[in-house]
Amino acid sequence: MSATIKYYCSCLSNTVVPPAPHLPSSSHSFHTLPELYFCEECDAVRCNECVSIEVSGYYCPNCLFEVPSASVRAEKNRCARNCFFCPQCFNTLAVVPSDPPDGTSFHQANSMGEPPFLLYCNNCRWDSAEAGITFEKSTGLAQQLQKHEDSAPDSLEFERLKDFFEPLLRASSSNTQHAPGTSSHSTHTNPITAAASSALARDIPGVSKYHPPPPRSRQKSKHGSKDDMPTYRSRVEIGGINGYGAGGEKDADLFSRLEHPSQVSTLAQKWTGSWSVSPLSRDLKPIRIPLHSRLTKRCPSCRHILIKPEQKAQSVRFKIKLVAANYLPAIEVHLPQPTASTRRVPGARTTQDADQSNSSRSSLLPGKSYPFRLGLKNPLYDPIQVRLVVQRQPLPAVPSAGEASTEKSRRPPFAISLPSTAFSIAPYAEAWEYEDEDDLDGLDDDDGLSPVKAAKGRSKTVGVLEKKANTTIVGGEIVIAKDGRGDAKFNMLVSYTYRSDEPPVDEMIGSKRATDLVKTNPETKTFTFYTVVDLGTIIPKEDARTASPDAY
Amino acid sequence: MSNPSTPRHRAVVVPSTPATSNRLAASTVQASPHYSTTRRHSLYGTEDRIILDPGSRVWKAGFSGEGRPRDVFFVSGSEQSTLWTQSRAAGGPEGEEKERTLKILLQKRLRNVFHQCLLTDPKSRKVIIVEHPLLPIYIKEMMAEILFENLQIPSLSFASSHLLALFAVGRMTGLVLDCGYLQSTALPIFSSRPLFPQLRTTPLAGSRFTSHLRALLLLFGTYVAPATSGAANVPSTSRSMRVPEEVLSDGVMEQIKTQCCFVGSAIESDEDESGEGDRAETPTAGDDSMEMDVPPSEFSESQLGSDIVDTPSSPPSSHLSGPSSFSVVTGTQSQGPRSSRHGASTREGHLQAIAEMYSKHSTATELRLRVDPPASQPQQAGATPIKGTLIIPGWIRERAAEVLFEGGDVDESSVAEVILDSLLKVPVDLRKLLASSILVVGGTPMLPGFIPRLHSELVRLLTHKVPPRKESPQGSPRRPPPFDPYAPLRQLAPFIAILNNPSPPPPSPEIQTSNAGKAPAFTPACLPWVGGSLAGAMKIGGVEVAREKWDEAALDEEEDNLNESTHGIDAGTAKRPKFSLPDWTRSSLPIGAPPAPRPPRPEAAAPQTAVGA
Repeated sequence: MSATIKYYCSCLSNTVVPPAPHLPSSSHSFHTLPELYFCEECDAVRCNECVSIEVSGYYCPNCLFEVPSASVRAEKNRCARNCFFCPQCFNTLAVVPSDPPDGTSFHQANSMGEPPFLLYCNNCRWDSAEAGITFEKSTGLAQQLQKHEDSAPDSLEFERLKDFFEPLLRASSSNTQHAPGTSSHSTHTNPITAAASSALARDIPGVSKYHPPPPRSRQKSKHGSKDDMPTYRSRVEIGGINGYGAGGEKDADLFSRLEHPSQVSTLAQKWTGSWSVSPLSRDLKPIRIPLHSRLTKRCPSCRHILIKPEQKAQSVRFKIKLVAANYLPAIEVHLPQPTASTRRVPGARTTQDADQSNSSRSSLLPGKSYPFRLGLKNPLYDPIQVRLVVQRQPLPAVPSAGEASTEKSRRPPFAISLPSTAFSIAPYAEAWEYEDEDDLDGLDDDDGLSPVKAAKGRSKTVGVLEKKANTTIVGGEIVIAKDGRGDAKFNMLVSYTYRSDEPPVDEMIGSKRATDLVKTNPETKTFTFYTVVDLGTIIPKEDARTASPDAY
Repeated sequence: MSNPSTPRHRAVVVPSTPATSNRLAASTVQASPHYSTTRRHSLYGTEDRIILDPGSRVWKAGFSGEGRPRDVFFVSGSEQSTLWTQSRAAGGPEGEEKERTLKILLQKRLRNVFHQCLLTDPKSRKVIIVEHPLLPIYIKEMMAEILFENLQIPSLSFASSHLLALFAVGRMTGLVLDCGYLQSTALPIFSSRPLFPQLRTTPLAGSRFTSHLRALLLLFGTYVAPATSGAANVPSTSRSMRVPEEVLSDGVMEQIKTQCCFVGSAIESDEDESGEGDRAETPTAGDDSMEMDVPPSEFSESQLGSDIVDTPSSPPSSHLSGPSSFSVVTGTQSQGPRSSRHGASTREGHLQAIAEMYSKHSTATELRLRVDPPASQPQQAGATPIKGTLIIPGWIRERAAEVLFEGGDVDESSVAEVILDSLLKVPVDLRKLLASSILVVGGTPMLPGFIPRLHSELVRLLTHKVPPRKESPQGSPRRPPPFDPYAPLRQLAPFIAILNNPSPPPPSPEIQTSNAGKAPAFTPACLPWVGGSLAGAMKIGGVEVAREKWDEAALDEEEDNLNESTHGIDAGTAKRPKFSLPDWTRSSLPIGAPPAPRPPRPEAAAPQTAVGA
């Protein structure tokens, strides 16, 4: 993949015109064609960032069981069957019977195995007996575990907190002195009255105050009631935890004697837990596999459905599928690169280079011109007229390399030439329906383009190069300035004209002759969209001389 | 089989359903027309809110009424470790670009929360955002815009993270220290009202800890390169080297922090020296601290002179920036490859002093961690990557967090000092109450031993011996009395209690009932989220902004812009939205204060009335 093309979705900005391609944020506005949707009502491209998404079904990615939505909530988006992740390595766990008591594996009484069943990880060989979990039956493990989860200290404590706060809130929201007998003397839970009463109860220096004998404890209780809250008694106090996990001195001691880091569980293994649990990795519990969802996607503005999957979790079909690939011509960019490809050493080094970000992209040298090809494929059953326009770029105020902006960098780093007249692409059809005359059409159009070629003084670099079936290949050229740098990326406006629903035959001939666009023809419609073409990176002059020999 | 499941149903359903079912039925009547078109019934009641705790680094998301978040994830991409930083990018094209990127990333994460983590339809979900008091308003506004316009949530409310954390331990009054990644913030809260003017903050937090740890590892850690097949018999001693920077990637640092690091108890050979230890750790022992803190620094030079021999030899200019001379350098530059070069000599000298002292006071074992070798090292193509070994000295594991407890700097107070600073600001009659109910939340206090250490640090700051007065008349009569910033708080020392202290100090005879360790055993990191869940379940999630209101405001703004553009007023100045999100910085001034000279904003005042339930 030397050169790429991406399609613009205007959802992230207020304007139809895409942001300048050299801005890093612009990359989020461009998407590959298969990622895009198309709303017929709005006649607009939609992307995954702007469509509104609804869940149309839940399923477990492991057992592909379609989970009824009623139980999704109770199970907290997790599979309620036998699907578990290994807490150590997040591999899927298998249910295995325990070893038969006599120790030899041949004497298995029945095919199901012996009753204490374990969860076993085939990857890291963790088994649930390490965490003290065994099962009586080999099915419905989640339900067998459920009772542990229900008595989880965090949910019990949470309920207790709720029970504690609810009467207080009720009292304060009714805004009256609450019912007698709820608590001893903390009657004003309304913060305003509380503030007022505490202000009245404040000690005034110099004024002796009535104090019953043990002043300290009296003061204490007065302070306790200052915010007018009964004290909450925790179910499990953090100071009372005996085992590890609370993060106290005991844990610090454990850590100081640690033999190996893997004894302690990692952040990812424990951080969804809100309760203080043992930091030791051997105490980790198996994780129920989170469910996945099948999504229905709607157009954000007209709410029409763009994607509707079939209900069944096993099915990969869609009931409704309005993807942009069925509406917009698919464009491929190809940059033949004789210089860079010879420089590149084939083999292991290249794969290593591919890990680094930019090296997979082709590199262009300043002061040279490169031809490139755009292959456009028509998905429609009608022929289309396509016109390509390069968006003029605002000059980068701050050069992307962060150098001081001299007048050199004020010049555009490269120039693009593309065929300026419209060209046609034959309709999509089944393979056997194409005939040779399509090629003839292509030649006709080439004649129309020949002035461009003549002006360039070059043969077959810019213009329509090839027509085949529903694909037309046009050539373009990039001329890189002597001091060009940065990425050779440009925005390209593609507008294509197609016939709206009722095409009479004579119109068809007319449009074939006409190089003109829509306005003359009321029966046609034009759709325009922006793309960004990324041809590669320009290697700055000085770098090209010094850096490239050791880079390659 | 059915037996164990029955109590579960009772436990789960009973608290929520009776309250929500009526509302659900009521809301379906006037719900959007879209609702009738979808066949599927919503899983959750409309009153089940989504609680989102968006940190700069870690986000927690889940449903209200549950005891733990459904999902917790690192929010940052690979390119930066935090989603936003404390400084907003300055204007201009670069700043705009940065903000655009941030907004795009926020949108991706928020969409991800709904569609990947929670698997729910945002259009029927009310959202509560657990809001750090110092969360920049522009980020708040961005989030609100995305949630309302892109995800079309019905309502949004913001709730103070400190207050929610207090809820989660069953209290409404307390002093909450949130030690997060970018900063540690102490906020006193009385009767569920955050005393925002008394908020105090310090940049000593997770990020500083990480950079300090990284600096220590670069100097004192050892990296053993993997044995290549060609040189299998090379002994490991000859393969060991200084730790290459690339090895200490963010992921590895995170692993070291969670799996290796802990906080040892204060270095206490005797009380005075422990005070000195802290002084000597910082180069504050230099000239600039003289005026502020004379006697301790003299002490430290005389007593621990052997320990800090290297420090005075370094150029005095390095002392200008005080203790931050190393930590700022590491803090800002350790991401980049330049950190080891800039100011290396000063820093290394200082770190050497640290190493010498700390290694004396540590008994922690040395750990070996398997890490990915740096990419620059020759590796055979096609072979499975062999892991190198990082040897972490025990004292680094134990003492790296000392950086958080090093005080003495005016701008960067230690986590203990920031609590006391806040206490100093608090009205006198609340001090004892707040000092005895300190709550520590955030990700950094998850370090084992952090909270007990913080407690002892607090007590030490309040009880360390004031240097004897007799010196001053003897030496120079015009010398002022030693500066003791926390003198007014000294009496509170026995009352200091951290609610979620896992190892509370033994009860003293003076105080019968101490709050220390009385909090439920939720982890510090999750406390704000749990509180949010609790608030959501009880429907007290703070000021709610409904989508209608947002849409109206957006319409108004559009109209205004139209009007103004027709009148020829510059659109840039007219851009200010009339509607603003509720935020404590925008709350109306208390009665009696002089009227603010800013123009009144009628819309802004309306949602301020019901703060904090």
